[in-house]
Formats: sequence, C-alpha cells, structure tokens
Amino acid sequence: MQPAVSNEEFLSQYDARLDELFARCVEKAPNFAVSPERFKGSVNKSLLRFASAFPDAPKKEETLDFIDLLQADDLFIALACADGNERAWWEFDQQYRGYLERLSRHLAKTEGDAQEVVDCVYVELYGTRFVDGERVSKFGTYSGRGSLKGWLRTVIWHTLVDLHRASHDEVSLDEMTENAGEGAVHANFLDQPAAGDGELVEQIARNRYRTVTLKSLDAAFSALEEHEKLLLLYYHVEQLKLREIARLVERENSPLRQWFQRKMQSRRDNPQGRIHESTVMRWLDKSYAKILQLFRSELESTHDLTAVEVEICLNLVTEDLGGTDLFQHLAV
Amino acid sequence: MDNKSKFGRDELTMQLLLGAFLLSRKSLKSSAAETSFHVDEDFLTAFAEGNLGARESAPVVNHLVNCGFCRHKTAELVRLDLAFDGASDDDAHPASANEPQKLSDVLSGILTRIFGTTDGAVFAHNEKDIEDEVANELDVTKDKE
Repeated sequence: MQPAVSNEEFLSQYDARLDELFARCVEKAPNFAVSPERFKGSVNKSLLRFASAFPDAPKKEETLDFIDLLQADDLFIALACADGNERAWWEFDQQYRGYLERLSRHLAKTEGDAQEVVDCVYVELYGTRFVDGERVSKFGTYSGRGSLKGWLRTVIWHTLVDLHRASHDEVSLDEMTENAGEGAVHANFLDQPAAGDGELVEQIARNRYRTVTLKSLDAAFSALEEHEKLLLLYYHVEQLKLREIARLVERENSPLRQWFQRKMQSRRDNPQGRIHESTVMRWLDKSYAKILQLFRSELESTHDLTAVEVEICLNLVTEDLGGTDLFQHLAV
Repeated sequence: MDNKSKFGRDELTMQLLLGAFLLSRKSLKSSAAETSFHVDEDFLTAFAEGNLGARESAPVVNHLVNCGFCRHKTAELVRLDLAFDGASDDDAHPASANEPQKLSDVLSGILTRIFGTTDGAVFAHNEKDIEDEVANELDVTKDKE
C-alpha cells in the first residue's frame, strides 16, 4: 500500500466499525473465544490488501463498502477453528461436514476417494504442520472475502486435484484440467498435396487468406476488453452454460456485470435486476459483433485487403468450418 | 433486410471461428501461465461470488484471461455452486446432532483412516475409542458379508 497516510492511520479510521462487527459476531457465537485483537488483526490484513489495489488510499465509502461485504460470521468461526476452539469445530462439523461430503462425492470417482478428500481437507483445516512452534491451520488463509462455503468448495476442488496429481505423477495439471485443445497452433500451413499450376496458385492464394484470417482474428480478440475476452473464454473454452455465466454475475455489485452493463439503459432503469440467460446471450452477441468489426477492420487496414477479399476470407473460413476444422490445416 | 441476414451469417461464422480459435490456443496460454503465479483460493472464491470490487477484480480478470488453470477452477466453482444450490438445509451432519463431538475425536478418526492406527499417537488419549471404532466398522463389514 502506498497511501498518503500510514497504515496505522488508515486502519484507525475503521476501528470503530470493526468493533461493531466484532460485537455482533460475539453475540452470535459467544463461546468461540476469539479475541478482538485476533479478529481485527485478520480484517486489518484484508483491509491493507484491499488498499494496496489503489494507487492512493481508497475513499472512506469504498472501504466501508468493503468491510460491509466481508463475511464476518464466517471469518469468526474460521478464526476460532484455526485456534482449535472445540465449540467452533463442533459448529463447523455440524454446518459443513454434510456439504463437504456431498461435494466430494459429486467430484470424486469413488466413495473411497470422496472420503479421502474430506479427510485430507479436515486434516489440512486443523493443521498438522508447525511453524515456529505454532500449528498452521488452513483456516488461517481464509479472510472472509467470499463465503466460507464457497471457500471450502475451492479447497475441496483443489485437494482433489492434488490427490489426483499425486497418484498420476505423469499427468500435468493441464491434462488434468483441460483435456481438449491439445496441440499448439502455429501460423504455418501444412504442405498441401501436389497439384497442377492453376491449383497451386489457387492454393497459395487460399493459404495467404487463411494466414491473414488467423492473424486478424488473433489481433481482433486481443483488442477486446478483458471482461469481454473472459466471457468468451468461459463460454467457448470452459463451456459454461448461459445460466452458469448468469450465476457468476448474479450479484449486483459484480464488476463483470457492471462492466457489461455500464453503457446499457436497462441497468440505469433497473440496476438490481436479475441477470437472465438472454442477457448473457446479448452480451455474447455484442462481443461477436465487436470482434467481427475489429476482424474486418484488421483485414482491411493492416493486411490491405479489399472488401471483396474480406468476403473471400469469410467464405473460406465458412467452408473450413463446414467441413474439416480450419485449425487442422495448421502445422503442429 | 439483406444486410441484416448477411450480418447474421457473418456473426454466426465468427462465433464458430472464434470457438475453434479459442479452443486451439488455450493450451498454449495455460501452459505459459503455469510458470507464473495463481490467484489464491480466498480471492478466487470472492471473485466467483462477485465479492471483489472493480479495482480488485481488474487484475483477477486479466489473470483469468491468460491462466487456463485458474479460469477452469472458477468455472468449476460456478458449476458446483449451481449443482448444490439450495442444498444448505440438508447440510447439517445428522450423525452427531445430539452430542457435540470432541475435536480430538473427529480428528483422531480421520487421522486413523488416513495414516492407519499406528499414527494414533497424535491423539494417544483416544486410542481406545479409535480401536473400538475400527472394531465396530469390522463388525459391520462382517455382518454385511
């Protein structure tokens, strides 16, 4: 953080708010034995991390919004569990074990694997490693930014990947997580079969158009805004369904949602409206339209193609997509 | 009218082309990103739940565009979130609903399953309980057979 004020000064502005938050947590869970210093120490760490994203110190309202978004109750139980409080562990076990087990069964191939994942997560959460005489609990890495349930979901998923990797030394993370899309793409075409002079000239021309098509597509995609790229990657590469993407932007404060909606009348009219699948489809359509425009402009301005040639490029691509994959023409 | 239908065709072509293009380039991107950092679980969860502000999200979005591993992880989190949507009412663990289990009991059982009974020394005062539990499990297995 590089604020105009020192860290202490910055944090002291929010001391009273943290006291209130702490009091509310204690009221709900009086037996967790989390000290105010412990709680505030954890939140202050997050506050400093939050502030470090700003070139100057964040505004007070922004910081208060940040504090309001914290999952204070979840953080409270996590801190108590990290400290080994038995009551907190009992609560945690009651609230989350069933969820962890079902989640694990959903992800793992066998009941045995599922149980192993849950067991490993419990051990990690409690912590069997000691650093400087202190037990290191996985709970210590939870800061209350997202829900504890969401965080546990991530921990389960990661543990499963780790177990999978441990039992398949030769499998890379890429292979584990992304089986499709193997084979690098280079901008060189395979040698085409021998042909007559006329065909050869045509082939060379086709190859030239294909090359500039791919270069232009790459340039057009690169020119998109980051949130547009991410949307397209979620849809095409991660194969997220529209309703799954809608879930990702469900919260009205979601920056992804705000970026997509910033120019739209509908947001001004109804900022808290639910995001439907059709809305995500519209965002995708807009991204396709934008990339098409960038693509055409790239072909025309960078590669000096005429409008007719641009059409040839699109027709070639359509042919390739209709028959063999365009990318099969590329050398590996 | 012609323009409209022509635009639709080109747009569809672009959609298909882009899909094929992104699939073909993703392995390159994710491999390159493997050597760099990954977003931590806490931050990634907060992002997937829409709990990060715009300033904090911008670098995360940028990272997700380039890192197939973290992006894949967030996609999986969203899928899981939807798959388990509304299941919170059943989350409570019914087996121990009446009596608080001691933390050491829970962990001893887990450590026993993972490391075997010889490592039970971590919670040595519960060795008898663990043995009983294992014996009970064996009995149940025998009964089933």
